[in-house]
Amino acid sequence: MKKITLVILIMLTAFNVFSSGNKEEVQKNAKPVEISFWYAFSDTPRSGWIQDRISEFNKANPDFKVIGENKGSYRETLQAAVLGARQGDAPHIVQVFEVGSQIAYDSGIFKPVGSIGSFDTTDYIQPVLNYYTINNKVNSIPFNSSSPILYINQDKMVQAGFDADYAPETFDEVLNVLEKAKNAGVEGSNLSFNLHGWFYEQWMAEQGAPLVNNGNGRTDRATEVLLTSDASKKIFNWIKILNDNELYTYTGKLEDWSGSDAIFQEGKAMLHITSTADLGNITSAVEGKFTLKTGRLPIPDSVERNGVVIGGASVWITKDHPENELMAARDFVLYMTNTDNMISWHKLTGYYPVRNSSVDKLKENKWFIKYPNQVIAFTQLLETKPNSATGGALMGTFMDTRTIVEKAIQRVLNGGNVNKVLEEAKILADAKLHEYNANLQ
Amino acid sequence: MNKAIFKSKSAPLIYLLPTIIILLLFLYYPLIQSFIISFYRSNLFLGTRKFIGLENFVNLFTGPLAPAYKQAFIQSMVFSFLVVSLGLSLGLFLAWNANKDIKGRRVYQILLLWPFALSPAVAGTIFLFLFNPEVGAINQILTSLFNIKPRWLDNPVLAVSVVISATVWKNLGYNVVFYLAALQNIPGSLIEAAELDGAGTLDKFRKIVFPLLGPTTFFLIFTNITYSFFDSFGLIDILTAGGPMGPYPLDKTGITTTLVYKLYQDGFGGSSNIGYAASQGVLLILLVAGITIFQFRTTGKKIFYGGAS
Repeated sequence: MKKITLVILIMLTAFNVFSSGNKEEVQKNAKPVEISFWYAFSDTPRSGWIQDRISEFNKANPDFKVIGENKGSYRETLQAAVLGARQGDAPHIVQVFEVGSQIAYDSGIFKPVGSIGSFDTTDYIQPVLNYYTINNKVNSIPFNSSSPILYINQDKMVQAGFDADYAPETFDEVLNVLEKAKNAGVEGSNLSFNLHGWFYEQWMAEQGAPLVNNGNGRTDRATEVLLTSDASKKIFNWIKILNDNELYTYTGKLEDWSGSDAIFQEGKAMLHITSTADLGNITSAVEGKFTLKTGRLPIPDSVERNGVVIGGASVWITKDHPENELMAARDFVLYMTNTDNMISWHKLTGYYPVRNSSVDKLKENKWFIKYPNQVIAFTQLLETKPNSATGGALMGTFMDTRTIVEKAIQRVLNGGNVNKVLEEAKILADAKLHEYNANLQ
Repeated sequence: MNKAIFKSKSAPLIYLLPTIIILLLFLYYPLIQSFIISFYRSNLFLGTRKFIGLENFVNLFTGPLAPAYKQAFIQSMVFSFLVVSLGLSLGLFLAWNANKDIKGRRVYQILLLWPFALSPAVAGTIFLFLFNPEVGAINQILTSLFNIKPRWLDNPVLAVSVVISATVWKNLGYNVVFYLAALQNIPGSLIEAAELDGAGTLDKFRKIVFPLLGPTTFFLIFTNITYSFFDSFGLIDILTAGGPMGPYPLDKTGITTTLVYKLYQDGFGGSSNIGYAASQGVLLILLVAGITIFQFRTTGKKIFYGGAS
């Protein structure tokens, strides 16, 4: 028994020594105020870029010390931030993906960035800013924004007997190209977008069709998901035709970005649709294999191009911090997204530089002449009409709806009837939305 | 039984304390919390909590959300049954052969244990690489030999097969270890006596070896049921993420969605309906507890533990 008491005593002493050591450390670092930034990039290029901006900012502002940390995927980052805030340990700055907008807003842990002092937002590209403006207030600062474009294996295009510069613009044109290629015996006469609801949302926006009721959830809280609209059926029918004629391929997994990219890069697909943000990666991956060309996102026939919804993420600031910390957090975000930084961000990744001044500067430096594949992304974004469809849907269950849409597409790929599948998907999506909304009543 | 092992009464308690603290913090407390939350409408992101009685449970069995749960329930049962029965018979078969007096027996034994040392994440990734329809090794070989390219991960039947194979394979080492140890403990004299009496291989196995392996098999059934219910999560998440959607009538949720995976999807995926997930957790606990009790009541009594107690 004595021995045990001794062991416990030793443990207690050790614990004391450790904890007092901690206290000293805190005091030493107490000088600059710490600002924490949680983001969702784990790859070296993108997280490295963020860390570089952080150290530049810290050097220029010795009173503050921004600490950047990767917290896993987008949803893990948001989850961690919300749980942190509940325990009084919220990070100052959080990167939130676009479909998390409503739920992040509803969580009540954030403060609209527009109400932290006053600053100029006119330089941000309008369609991008629209997405992140909630209840007429700029809610978060756009950071990494992208939209999907068409990637073309030009060698196969020529093999199939098309002009090298030809890029199909509509659903029928895509079908036509692939059919011809197939008949000409071109290997990989496929379209290979990964099975992701994001593309479906883009095709809805291109048709000017809202995804949810109440002005796409922007005039009032959404209560119904419009999965059975004609616009929605058009998309599903096209995917069905592609699949029935064996002109579509993917890895079999939902949201498998890299898997589908690999299919295209290996030359197993002639056409591919993915984010502009992958332009850098794909360009270098196919170098020496085949000539890459890009085109605008193909849209349903006989529809006027309405534009794309901005995808990606924005940076949010949490409330419940002293005013000076909020200001510092905001200043860091503005620094990270300033004209020159957005240019280097764009050159590194292919994400849009979200500021007009950045675009102007890139034009001045003839960037688009050197890299013509980048132009498409901008044309597509700048010609987007600002309305509720391209402003993006707001609903608390956007993440669920996305999965429901993906599973519905998969059911159609398995031979399901489009109308029936969509009706069932709508019932499910509506049920989840009602369940979610009931939390707030 | 010899009782006076510890001189002081508090000593065993102190030794047990770390375990008890861990159990309290990470098992009993969450368990009680799950029971409580299952009666609330609660969302992880919103931090809301509203008492709704049995509504979460009702939603599991009726209404628009029910079909997916029912399907996951059936799939989970079939999955579990297949994983346990395949895992045990294959494990026993391999152990039986690895226990024979053959050259390089140690090497075989070590190789057989290998998969068990891998984490589910690594095992899942290996299978994912092997079975990628376009660039995976399996299809490279199949294309060059037979010019076929099976869709391993989005064809419902193949996807289930791949997931079950991976789950069985991952735990095979564990089963082999226990069976090997048990086989080595069977007294050679018994086998010899049987041989003298003219028993063939099948008879020896059926009448002597298998009954003597009873306690091991009984134990392994348990651990394998738990494994197939809970630890298959990592493999499923990496290989198929619960998908693909099955053919009618199995088209209400992904065909490799088990109960645990469904719980995870509802509670930590999408908009994180924690209350709904908690009610699934409660049912899952009751289910596994039920199977366990049933096991003890039925098979447990028939097990021959040896000795004359």
